Amino acid sequence: MPGTSTTAAAAETTLQPSRRQRHFWERPARFSVPYLLIVPVVVVIALVLGYPLYWLGKLSTEKYGLFELIQHHGTSVGFANYRSVLHDQIFWHTLVRTVIFTAVNVGLTMVLGLLIALLLVRVSTVVKLMLSSGLVLVWSMPVVVAVQIFYWMTNFQNGVVNYVLTQLHVGNFEQHDWYATPFSQLSLVTVLIVWGAIPFVAITLFAGLAQVPRDLVEAAEVDGARPWGVFRDITLPVIRPILLILTSLSIIWDFGVFTQPYLLIDQSKITPGNYLMSTYLFEEGYLKADFGRGAAISILMLLIVAALSVLYVRKMVRIGREAV
Amino acid sequence: MKRRIIVALGLVAVLAVAVAATTSAATKKTAANSITVWLQVDAQTGWPDIVAAANQQFQAAHPGTTVNVQYQSWTDHLQKFDATLAGGGGPDVIEMGNTEMTKYMAAGAFAPLDKAQFDNSSSWLPGLAASGKYGGKTYGVPYYAGSRVVTYRKDLFKQAGISKLPATTSEYISDAQKLLAKNKQKGFSPVYIGGEDWYVAMAFVFDYGGGIATQVSGKWKGLLATPRSIAGLTAYRNFFLATSRAPKTNDGTKPNPYDVYAQGLVGSMVGPSWFSCCVGKKYTASTGQFVMPGHVKGQSMPGFLGGSDLAVPVTSSNKALAAEWIKDFTSTSSEKALHAKGNIPNATNLLGNSVNERAAARSWFVPTAKHWVDVENGNILKNMLGQILTGQLTVKQAAQSASDNIASVLNQP
Amino acid sequence: MNSSRRNRRRLRQAGWNAVGLAVFVVMVFPVFWMISTAFKSNEQIIALKPVWFPLHPTLQHFADAIHKPFFWRDVLNSLIVVSVTVAVSIVIAFMAAIALARYRFSLREVFVVLVIGIQMLPQAGLIIPLYVVLARYHQVNALSGLIITYMTFVLPFCVWTLRGFLLGIPKDLEEAALVDGSTRVGAFMKILLPLMGPGLVATSVFAFITTWNEYIFARVLLNDQAKQTVTVWLSYFLGTSRNTDWGALMAASTLTAIPVVLFFIAVQRRIAFGLTAGAVRG
Repeated sequence: MPGTSTTAAAAETTLQPSRRQRHFWERPARFSVPYLLIVPVVVVIALVLGYPLYWLGKLSTEKYGLFELIQHHGTSVGFANYRSVLHDQIFWHTLVRTVIFTAVNVGLTMVLGLLIALLLVRVSTVVKLMLSSGLVLVWSMPVVVAVQIFYWMTNFQNGVVNYVLTQLHVGNFEQHDWYATPFSQLSLVTVLIVWGAIPFVAITLFAGLAQVPRDLVEAAEVDGARPWGVFRDITLPVIRPILLILTSLSIIWDFGVFTQPYLLIDQSKITPGNYLMSTYLFEEGYLKADFGRGAAISILMLLIVAALSVLYVRKMVRIGREAV
Repeated sequence: MKRRIIVALGLVAVLAVAVAATTSAATKKTAANSITVWLQVDAQTGWPDIVAAANQQFQAAHPGTTVNVQYQSWTDHLQKFDATLAGGGGPDVIEMGNTEMTKYMAAGAFAPLDKAQFDNSSSWLPGLAASGKYGGKTYGVPYYAGSRVVTYRKDLFKQAGISKLPATTSEYISDAQKLLAKNKQKGFSPVYIGGEDWYVAMAFVFDYGGGIATQVSGKWKGLLATPRSIAGLTAYRNFFLATSRAPKTNDGTKPNPYDVYAQGLVGSMVGPSWFSCCVGKKYTASTGQFVMPGHVKGQSMPGFLGGSDLAVPVTSSNKALAAEWIKDFTSTSSEKALHAKGNIPNATNLLGNSVNERAAARSWFVPTAKHWVDVENGNILKNMLGQILTGQLTVKQAAQSASDNIASVLNQP
Repeated sequence: MNSSRRNRRRLRQAGWNAVGLAVFVVMVFPVFWMISTAFKSNEQIIALKPVWFPLHPTLQHFADAIHKPFFWRDVLNSLIVVSVTVAVSIVIAFMAAIALARYRFSLREVFVVLVIGIQMLPQAGLIIPLYVVLARYHQVNALSGLIITYMTFVLPFCVWTLRGFLLGIPKDLEEAALVDGSTRVGAFMKILLPLMGPGLVATSVFAFITTWNEYIFARVLLNDQAKQTVTVWLSYFLGTSRNTDWGALMAASTLTAIPVVLFFIAVQRRIAFGLTAGAVRG
């Protein structure tokens, strides 16, 4: 293994003659320092998730219901579970709906989060403390509670949203039922998710913006650069890795988000018309105690999310490769 | 810097050791000589004294054994139960909702029990007892039940000139018109029922002699499209449209009917008898209850008998002790105490004359099918009601489609 | 000329501040609604016309919440679980992040895939098999079992984010320190760590909040109410088949949010410090 890193380093040196210095991390690590560094993480993950992953894979090829669960033994059915899911119209409709849902959520979260982070840099200390504490307050609310509050604020009977909208003469929203149609339901879920996700994105980006060299920014401003130019040429390159990370994480999370849609729309109103992949998995796999099917859907979800985020992930890996 | 890091790591190590120590001590304790009981949190808030009394009685007979009661929530206790069925460490006694029993009995999750061992077992409430039987064996012991009653505003009824309570649904409809005439606020419902409240709607179906599904030589047949069921559904539609201003697509759980009642927008509401707890300080004094009338004079509307059973999971290693504890918890004295708290006790010889219990005299229950839970989770009945009330489909069309749907779900292998 | 530029800057600052306050109001409104509901009487909570500020606040709901069984015990459990999880995870994640961001080794891509892959797993699907594994090692109904589970789900994110922050710091800085004669470890300590302040803080805040609010695994893995975390304790308000005490639930939620906010206020100075450190660097 040390051999490969020397050849790789040598290759790099020939490709980029300007980087002729040998950085210490490119020397073949005698005690495999990087391996030692990653061992704890690998051990924890392998210990906890090793068996569950194997179980999930095995179960996806078995007929495994409640009866089999109690017997601790299922019957092998090959890829029948996968075939049944892939031939299900509902699966495909749900997939498309979830992709659109994810795109909207991630887009809104990243744009609004970035804007708020930029805002945080510019406000005075007092407002900065207020806003960042407010964001943490939002972030620290347990999802279960946030859902209840949102439900109250939007319920048709005495919800404050209906009241305010009517008072502001935006229209007559008295007794308006926001949970009547799937589009309306999923829009509310989007607002809830984006609201809950903004603090994390804003605070992380704010921390990242702290790494932007102030002197460069000031120098550029003195030279007469416009704010957009400063942002594009100085700020963006520094926070690009973090932006990519946050985007890829948001895609992964929003694709599989479960608690918010399940609780806000309420189990009694969950129908194939408003299924997202996670509620589909829960209803078709677990509520019906068809664990084999649930495992197959889980694995399919894993593959789909991987495919969706592969572009971002590759970009991030490439940045890492270039940087080192 | 290095020193600070070493100190920090040391602290973490100490914490981790502390955690490990408490853990190993704890796991050793639960091993021998104790039984674990899973009851719903309703018992913790409603009648902890009855639980304590049963524990005392049990421990007097079995001095070496402790009882470890762990309270569960309705929302996820089945998920937890599934996990313990797969991995062990589950309870010795578990409280199950009566509609949850069949699925688990069919999967072999429970140990069979000897019915004779329990108090009053020969006069168990038929509705509850049926939910604990499968394949001729008893797996569940009835614990307690609740029926559906009408909670109403005595002052509003008086003000509208209603001198005696309605004895038939048609009388109730005309009383509702009188209430509407005297209460013109927007959103006021003489009878607050969510359109998709299937518990109320199915009561009408059973009142007319219809049903949801029945088993004919091993196969389930849907009954919703039979003439009697259709008559019941039509009667329900007429009743709803005449008396309720709640949304047609609302299932009566959100907002809570008693909250709407407390806002002064309800003349009467149909629901469990404990609804009277939360009608708000303003209206508590003027609130009463009566049994919902059926369409025939002298017959009450059949009420849904909701309730809980107690079962012994097949994974338990203390099955005999578990059965003993259940016997103590459902003893005559225990059931009488539950009755005093406003519940319906598990046997007919213990029944009193409260509104709740009179309503239970005529009751209905869901088909005891392995896949009934899937019908409920699939919201088949609710969707049918929504289609009927919004006029999307005729009663006959909606009922036929729901009936076929239910039959196919119930007939799954 | 100087004073007019100063005035313009002050005006611009005031403008940004106004925008900041508006954003604050919009974002925090639901939290405000939760807190004000905790102080309202039951009638005010369900009133048709919203009550913005309860004029006669009541503390009854807070009393009800605290007196619900096992409150303090469960708060303590949450604190233990979260502190150990965050402390250990940040340390080992930072180590792994350094390996990813500063070293080349042949299994690097594999490790990266593993880290990202873990986050793509639908958690609902893992509940039962995770329970089975932990039960085998008597880690069910134990805080240690929950801690190691939380670490597994928090680590990939921490590694990934810390790697991102590390990549934003140019290596030339460490190199310069090395040329000046410091050891590899010394270079990390003197150069990387201070600059990583904001990143470490943001990551630990995330780890803290995620673990503090986690519900599903805590619910399934912990049976004894004396061992449960505070989020499970909260769920009992909603899990009854009888009426839900909304006032008490809101009061309870307000109480459970306090440690997180305190933690953030304690560490947020680090972020500000990071900003000034950047300026001094110049």
